[in-house]
Amino acid sequence: MLEQFEGLIKKRIVLITGKGGVGRSSVTAAIAMAAARAGKRVLVAEIGDGRDNEQRIHDYSPLARLFGLDHLPENKAEIMPGVWGSMLLPLKGHELFLASVFRVGALAKAALHSEALRRLFQAAPSLREVGIFYCLLTYLRQKHTDGTPSNELIIVDMPATGHTLALTGLPKILLSMVSRGPIADALREGQSYLNDPDQASAYVVTLPETLPVSETIELLEGLKNTNMPVGGVILNHVAQDPFTTEERLRLEKVFASHRAQGTPLLGEESFHYFEEARRESERLAREISVPLLRLPDAPPGCESLVSFLADSLLSSAAVRAGAPQ
Amino acid sequence: MSGEVSKLIRESRIIVCCGAGGVGKTTTSGAIAIAGARMGRRVLVLTIDPSKRLAEALGVERNPPAPVTLPADRLQAVGIQAPGTLDAWMLDPKLIADQEVRAIVKNPEDIEKLLSNRIYKHVTTMVAGMHEYTAMQALHRFVLSGRYDLVVLDTPPSRHALDFLEAPSRLSRFLDGRVFKMFMPAETTGGLRRAAGSLVSRVLGGVLGEQFAGDLSVFFGVFAGVLGTLNRDVSGMRDFLSKPDVAFLLVTSPAPAALEEALFFQRKTDELKLPFRGFVLNRSHAYDYGRKFPETALLIGHSIARTTAEKLQNLAESEKDLIGRDQELVKDLARRAGVGGFATALPVLLPNETEMRKLETLADQFKGA
Ligand SMILES: Nc1ncnc2c1ncn2[C@@H]1O[C@H](COP(=O)(O)OP(=O)(O)OP(=O)(O)O)[C@@H](O)[C@H]1O
Ligand SMILES: Nc1ncnc2c1ncn2[C@@H]1O[C@H](COP(=O)(O)OP(=O)(O)OP(=O)(O)O)[C@@H](O)[C@H]1O
Ligand SMILES: [Mg+2]
Ligand SMILES: [Mg+2]
Repeated sequence: MLEQFEGLIKKRIVLITGKGGVGRSSVTAAIAMAAARAGKRVLVAEIGDGRDNEQRIHDYSPLARLFGLDHLPENKAEIMPGVWGSMLLPLKGHELFLASVFRVGALAKAALHSEALRRLFQAAPSLREVGIFYCLLTYLRQKHTDGTPSNELIIVDMPATGHTLALTGLPKILLSMVSRGPIADALREGQSYLNDPDQASAYVVTLPETLPVSETIELLEGLKNTNMPVGGVILNHVAQDPFTTEERLRLEKVFASHRAQGTPLLGEESFHYFEEARRESERLAREISVPLLRLPDAPPGCESLVSFLADSLLSSAAVRAGAPQ
Repeated sequence: MSGEVSKLIRESRIIVCCGAGGVGKTTTSGAIAIAGARMGRRVLVLTIDPSKRLAEALGVERNPPAPVTLPADRLQAVGIQAPGTLDAWMLDPKLIADQEVRAIVKNPEDIEKLLSNRIYKHVTTMVAGMHEYTAMQALHRFVLSGRYDLVVLDTPPSRHALDFLEAPSRLSRFLDGRVFKMFMPAETTGGLRRAAGSLVSRVLGGVLGEQFAGDLSVFFGVFAGVLGTLNRDVSGMRDFLSKPDVAFLLVTSPAPAALEEALFFQRKTDELKLPFRGFVLNRSHAYDYGRKFPETALLIGHSIARTTAEKLQNLAESEKDLIGRDQELVKDLARRAGVGGFATALPVLLPNETEMRKLETLADQFKGA
């Protein structure tokens, strides 16, 4: 098993973040599959809008599709041997929270049936995040009768960067406004998990290209400011440069002479892309102080991207092959 | 389809660049603004770019309190001649929200109460739609000022292009009268509401703690005064943006997810009766720049080994496919844009170009398009 991956599966909760389209969902599913194969009881989660959802562009979740479903279940259910899935729904979080605060039930019921309160909970600053946060906390707390956690490893496919920071930064901002009471208690309990590097880590997925690498470096800084421990950076789409140094030198000359004559060649752009990829993955390795995991680009015609990536996580050899020489 | 983009830049009064996160909205806005100023128009570009890339590219300081006019030497450097001018402003949502509050709330004591309220301080960052609302507010103000021929609005970073269009309704949901009434002083409301009010205060007091519930009351209480004006503004804004000299452009990349979203966005603008005008396919490979396939004979002539040649030819094949794919894509988008709409492609540029060079190159691209 990849050494860095061993560190990852020791955690209770892992947040997978990064900019759009870099492969967060694929990596989330691959980690879940690999961790389950390593014997963990895994819960995969993503943030859903839930029942009062105004339908968006996707009437399915790309993450759920990787498990052969249209959506992750609203209530935790097994979606693959050893892997459970659940949406994190703000509204459900609010219900759970109100029920835990007003044990008597009558007030909780009244509150839940009050249209005005419902609206306030949906609209008021940050209460949406509080709901999501409370769902997560509930899953973290769940225990078997023998006291061991039901969800040994929770992996969250986070929305793109800004939303991640909104969630990880939530306790700090809210606690500056609400210092006492049940919400404050829940936030502090959540913090005791999320800010503990032995239990929680964020992993940033990125690509070996200039902009994603720069944004990753910025995001690491942002996460640090919200006290969220960072477990590592996952460099996805690591492609193998087909050319040797000798070949590169020769081809460079050919391209230069054709450019000079005004007859540029096809293939030059990709040729330079490999160079950029190497330069950027070196820059990333140099500038970050957290572990770097490399995941290779799937070969064309690869049947299951998720199990291909899971294999890479479980066998360090496959990953090294994708690393730059 | 030639000439449509430059005509649009020459004739529109407002161009709004929408799109999913990171597709190039800010870059496209900057390039359109330069292209417009080169045509001799007085242009303002309003941008919300937290990483301040455009500001740095244009040499404008961060978060100034008002638009900054680019000095003559900078204008000349990018090919802008009088009477063309270019102003740029990085929007600071908090600043605009504060200005709004000062303009709307009459009682100075209330202004101070609101501006120093702990919830209000976070509201521009935490309430969905607030960013977008302040951007529209600024747009409205500058268009009415008559100082500009063209205002280009770069929309805030968001996951979905749609967030910008939906901002007003989200904000209205937040500003929903029913929520506010819960916090109105009891003597102005009837018995039923008082009952609801006490439930609310018991629940909120119990859940949030007295202190936060108190802050919420002050916040909603004072904000209720702002509410009426804001709601009117939000709906007025839509009329304002429905005018024919307004153009909504959707910036997209060739990635399938971005395209899917682009089409959804177009349908949505139709529904909302907003003037959608076209697609900008950014980071495309639609231009072949006369590149030739590296034939074996040619490479052997350069004493390249056959095995090396094959590797290069594999890459060349996929590039050729990419060019073909993106050229088809633009055509397809142009068809979907319908009558009076267009689609134009912007090339993917080298990452090591400076941001200013990128803007200029892309502005050049609009000349003939
Ligand atoms: N290592 C890889 N090799 C090949 N293809 C990959 C790899 N990782 C991801 N992909 C492909 O890239 C695309 C985007 O991946 P994915 O949906 O996981 O990204 P994401 O970051 O979750 O995107 P979004 O921002 O839309 O949620 C998918 O088509 C996926 O199959
Ligand atoms: N055609 C292009 N070729 C190469 N790089 C580009 C191109 N268009 C934009 N970029 C680069 O991509 C980055 C992101 O672009 P930009 O900031 O304009 O996107 P955006 O849509 O405004 O992002 P956000 O959603 O974060 O506001 C910038 O560094 C920009 O220089
Ligand atoms: Mg995803
Ligand atoms: Mg931007």
